[in-house]
Amino acid sequence: MRLGLGLVALALLAYPLVLRGAFYERMGADLLLAAIGASAWNIVGGYAGQISVGHAMFFGIGAYAPLLVFTHWQMAPLIGVPGGVIVSLAVAVVVGMPTFRLQGHYFSMATIAVAELIRIVVGNWDAVGAAVGLMGPAVPRTVLDLTFRSAVPYYYIFLAVLAVILGLTFVLENGRAGYYWRAIRASERAARSLGVPVRRYKLFALLLSAGFTSLAGSLYALMVGFIDPESGFGILVSVEMIITAALGGVGTLLGPLLGAAILVPLKTATNSLLGGGGSGLTYILYGGIIVVIARFQPGGLIDLGRRLLVRARGRAGRAEAHAA
Amino acid sequence: MTILQIIAGGLLLGAVYALFSAGLTLIWGMMNVINFAHGEFVMIGMYVAYLVVTYLHGGPLVFGPAAAVVLSLLGVSVYFGLIRHVMRGPMIAQILGTFGLALLLRYLAFWLFGANFKTLPDDLIPGTLNIGGILIGMPQLAAGAVALVLTIGMHLMLTRTAIGSQLLAVSEDREAAMLMGIRPDRMLALAWALSAAGAGIAGAMIATFYYIVPTVGESLALTAFVVVAFGGFGSVPGALIAGLLIGVIQSLSAYVFGPVLKDVVVYALFVGVLWVRPQGLLGKIA
Amino acid sequence: MGRLLGSGLLALAVAFPSGAMAQGNIKVGVLLPLSGNAASAGQQSKAGVELAVEIVNGKHPGIEGMPATGLPNLNGGRLEPVFADHQGNPSTGQSQALRLIQQDKVAALLGAYQSSVTFAATAVAERYGIPWVVGDSVAANITGRGFRFVFRVTPVARDFAYSYVDFLRDLKDHGMAVRTLAIVYENTDYGTSIADALRTAIREAGLQLTADISYSANTTDVSSQVLQLKDRKPDAVVFVSYTADTILYMKTMKQLDYRPKVVIGDDSGFSDPAFIKNVGAIAQGAMNRSAWDIGKPGSVTAKINDLFKAKTGFDLDDTSARNMQAMFALADAINRAGSASADAIQAALAATDLQADQLMMGYRGVKFDATGQNTLAATYLIQLQGDRYVAVWPARSATAGLQLPYKGWQ
Repeated sequence: MRLGLGLVALALLAYPLVLRGAFYERMGADLLLAAIGASAWNIVGGYAGQISVGHAMFFGIGAYAPLLVFTHWQMAPLIGVPGGVIVSLAVAVVVGMPTFRLQGHYFSMATIAVAELIRIVVGNWDAVGAAVGLMGPAVPRTVLDLTFRSAVPYYYIFLAVLAVILGLTFVLENGRAGYYWRAIRASERAARSLGVPVRRYKLFALLLSAGFTSLAGSLYALMVGFIDPESGFGILVSVEMIITAALGGVGTLLGPLLGAAILVPLKTATNSLLGGGGSGLTYILYGGIIVVIARFQPGGLIDLGRRLLVRARGRAGRAEAHAA
Repeated sequence: MTILQIIAGGLLLGAVYALFSAGLTLIWGMMNVINFAHGEFVMIGMYVAYLVVTYLHGGPLVFGPAAAVVLSLLGVSVYFGLIRHVMRGPMIAQILGTFGLALLLRYLAFWLFGANFKTLPDDLIPGTLNIGGILIGMPQLAAGAVALVLTIGMHLMLTRTAIGSQLLAVSEDREAAMLMGIRPDRMLALAWALSAAGAGIAGAMIATFYYIVPTVGESLALTAFVVVAFGGFGSVPGALIAGLLIGVIQSLSAYVFGPVLKDVVVYALFVGVLWVRPQGLLGKIA
Repeated sequence: MGRLLGSGLLALAVAFPSGAMAQGNIKVGVLLPLSGNAASAGQQSKAGVELAVEIVNGKHPGIEGMPATGLPNLNGGRLEPVFADHQGNPSTGQSQALRLIQQDKVAALLGAYQSSVTFAATAVAERYGIPWVVGDSVAANITGRGFRFVFRVTPVARDFAYSYVDFLRDLKDHGMAVRTLAIVYENTDYGTSIADALRTAIREAGLQLTADISYSANTTDVSSQVLQLKDRKPDAVVFVSYTADTILYMKTMKQLDYRPKVVIGDDSGFSDPAFIKNVGAIAQGAMNRSAWDIGKPGSVTAKINDLFKAKTGFDLDDTSARNMQAMFALADAINRAGSASADAIQAALAATDLQADQLMMGYRGVKFDATGQNTLAATYLIQLQGDRYVAVWPARSATAGLQLPYKGWQ
């Protein structure tokens, strides 16, 4: 396990040095960003089992905050990032508190509706750019603007943030929070009857998740330098977070990263190879993958890997027993 | 006068909402599953109508039933192929399953039919009725009337026929129903067939006055969720009343507040209902 | 582990082939929405750009007058378009631009339809010093950032707004007074930028805005909006909408029996061939802006249209035509630069000076100012008569007579 983690970390650190060129560097940054978003979602959706389909609301807030700061006060966008996190946390409390009373599908639908609401409001509010959106600094004024020509600095910044999220998740996973979340995910009623403070821990998961998702949005805005209601609050933003986490395995530490490592290159490859043909094959593939995961392997690839490993060990054990 | 016109339009549109939401609420009532691909079922109904008109030169009397048949088959396949398994699984599988299906269907439509907008010829259901100054397009009137009849029909079937009571029994208590000799599997598949057929017919009727493009499913699905939440999960009469109500509220809001805010009103209503009265107007407690 | 890594890299290398430049061919990257909501417009523009490149490469000797035909300064070199699909997503637009720049080593870029994508992706081109020619996106801020490598051939929101107002004022001389207007616009960047420009132009012209209706694109029902218009009775209505909404509006107007004196559609939805196909019969007399007119039979523009129609089955529409024109302007610059060097092409673009008779569009010429905007961009107003659009204004470009008031389905 340690060896595996170490190899993954090494591969991630070495990636831009091995695969050079702006295109690969950008793809790597995109990959890490997707992993950050999916890992953030994973905290409340995977570990605590509350499937939010409206996480774009936090992503969008995180993306708008730095660009708002730049547009209205000409300050470095970076300064707006903490503000975005704070607003996201506030929204999480306001939305989470009443919505957590709802079960399963109700909760998911409510999150979709709230995210859509926010998207429409932002799209019609001139102060935040309305439908046109907001832009970042076109040319960097100081290093603090974080407008790099190459994607490599973004890559390492994202890697650092990912390490923080995963580290935090790892610690919590093995502590009391993880224990309570697993109980809540298995059965809320049972958990409550056992004395688990369900509401408090659901909120805790949501706050963590919202904060990091907001961060992911901020990082996106810093790299792309542009945001509008669709790219910030659109439903595809939420859906992609969920698919990425689910492919790798919800509720696992490295599942979201694995999902991102597969989906981002896959999406880029299908677009580059077939995009000119314009048949939208990328999304047919996406849809197909999701259905297959849901139907056959809801635990994702990590779960699949574990099962295969167990079976292999079982066979080896029986072989030994026979040989003996 | 204008207000009456708006209300009339809202009611007719609302009836169509009721039709495709009735199926959605039935599924929910029976198995606690929300079909996120329901909008795509409506979309497929629209394309069936298009294909019938273009290649078979058939009219509404042909493509209506055609949509019902095609979608019923699809509904049953989806149930046996996907839903039956994910129903018993974790929540993530249920949500992902129908979500993925929605994406798959939507982009398959893109691939098969292209992104170009299609419409049905104007003269399929020609004419405009003028009732005391209120103008009602015949396509809208036909759609509303058919939708109303079918929704009421579904309710009557559920409450007055043998098979209907079997469906309701499975929805109330699956184990007890099994003990009574009812095969839940068959009933659930039937429910999916009915739900999909309702969506398909609604789509085919809408196609006579709306445009056809693979992405219509998105906004229609959200409307269906709102209607179902409002009317109560599991209640077909609830869906009928809610559908009509939402149709009127939407039209009035569009006129009074402007079209953009009308969406805000509807979503806010949705969220409000979920918080204040999750079981909706007539639904059972979840 | 090493083997795994190695085969992984091999797989990646196969998936992303780097384009080794064929001897003598200059590659131009073209970013368009080839899947998703705007795919139909994207596919049409793609066909248009391909046709433009064929003409420039000398494949259609019957087409005379387009600049740089045959590419005389390139010693037998040819242009080669490389298409990329940005799916309407600004971030994808950026990474596809990067792919075109780094892998395919394009000498210049063209695109991208949606203003949001153009805006984001041109920033990448500027950072890498690759020239980008914008054929169709009208958001003002695309050329307002002090970039050196971004050039825009098409007119922008401001130009259109003033054209409409000038036209409406001209109507006084035709005996039809237009004093009040309504704007109905979809509320994303496209609709709002035109609406903003229109409000200013209307105010300056002393006309009155009686209804200002913004709506969400892809709406399900527009009867309330049409009823509002019916109530307020403006003399002229300007629609700024994409195809889907346009179709809905025309149908609803027929159903509710509403016909203002003048209907003006701002391109997009009204130019999409799907518009004429689906609701042309009930929207007779609808006005549209276009810098493209098919022109008289036998003219260069008519011949180009014939080629386009043979290729796609549709008449050439304004948006695709504008992208074609952008490609011609780019080809002219590449020819004058005589090489694939980005800096040489940028300098050549900045020095562009094309005359009106060298263009397929109705611009007065192509000459870029310091921000990269074509100052000679202009537009006709065209009208739907029968199953095609004809140029009706200004008088000097008109190929048919203006028919008012709006007929609709009569």
